[in-house]
Amino acid sequence: MVLVHVLRLLQRQPAITPETPDEALVRRAQQGESAAFRALFERHVVAVRRFLRDLVRQSDLADDATQETFARAHAQLVKLTDHDRFKPWVLGIARNVAFEARRVRQHDVLDDEDEGTPAAVIPSPDPERVLLDAELEKHFTEAIGTLSENRRAALLMRLDHGLGYEDIAAAFGWSIPTVKNEIHRARLKLRAHLLPHLTGERP
Amino acid sequence: MSRCGRTAQLEAVAMGEAAPALAAELRAHSKQCALCRHELNWLESESSLFRQRAGRDEVAHLWKGVAQRRGLETPRAWPRVLVAMAAAAALVLLVGRVAPRPTSLATDGSRSRGTEEEALESSMLMSPGSFFFPADEPCSKLPSGVGFQCSPVVPASFLASR
Repeated sequence: MVLVHVLRLLQRQPAITPETPDEALVRRAQQGESAAFRALFERHVVAVRRFLRDLVRQSDLADDATQETFARAHAQLVKLTDHDRFKPWVLGIARNVAFEARRVRQHDVLDDEDEGTPAAVIPSPDPERVLLDAELEKHFTEAIGTLSENRRAALLMRLDHGLGYEDIAAAFGWSIPTVKNEIHRARLKLRAHLLPHLTGERP
Repeated sequence: MSRCGRTAQLEAVAMGEAAPALAAELRAHSKQCALCRHELNWLESESSLFRQRAGRDEVAHLWKGVAQRRGLETPRAWPRVLVAMAAAAALVLLVGRVAPRPTSLATDGSRSRGTEEEALESSMLMSPGSFFFPADEPCSKLPSGVGFQCSPVVPASFLASR
């Protein structure tokens, strides 16, 4: 009798596996299961941390912002009604945390909102020969850093984290055309910066 | 940038979001259209750069800070096994206490004894004139119904020594 009761307790929730969808993990975490939230953390922390490092541009600051992001996500998880949209939701929180951290630390923010957007960047690189060595990674990170915070965040959400325009628009409170325009401008600037390192030519 | 009109669809190809048929069609188109080829090269180069950059971070140490801020416990891999083992041990103890002690003869021919008989045997062994129970002596049940009592027999050698 006791054993049956114990077995029932043990079998109450199915085990968490890599195949357990985010939606199920969010529901279980909302019911107070900390292991489910830990699984969500482990699944998304790499992306969130990279996103934050690109936004705040300091490793230690990015670590702290990552922890703050997940702490806030845990505190606000009950508000997440679209259970299958944890990633865009947590990246939206990360964006707010990054902006707050930057404001607190008074870092110089390079704002390119008023800069002229480069025209088409010609020529183009050969994608099969693009190899991200240490030197190119340095230039790549610099290029990302030249973008304004909002534009950079939008570009990263789309290109690095694969979010759809609708998700980005929801995270920013922008319209979809605005998101597309911001990402387009960010892309052109990124390309102008990367061109000499990818093709050896000046734009 | 391409002004071909199919540029917007190229992004879905580079991001792996386009249906296979559409992706094949657009790739074929890009081979003929210089503007689309140029755009697709850039889109795929960007995707390649981001892909290569991903997954190089060490983040294992970050959970501790989250757990501290939110008062979360760090789950361990073994608690369910431990709980199951503890439950099994408790069950064994419970069954051991409740079940009646065996009263029948053991399969090897030796007698199972109750508390009274054990006390009797102990007192006999401790006394100066030790007695023993012969193996073929008929035994009767103790008044309590638990265990057997056999008639003690004084061996002739013992009497001769007296």
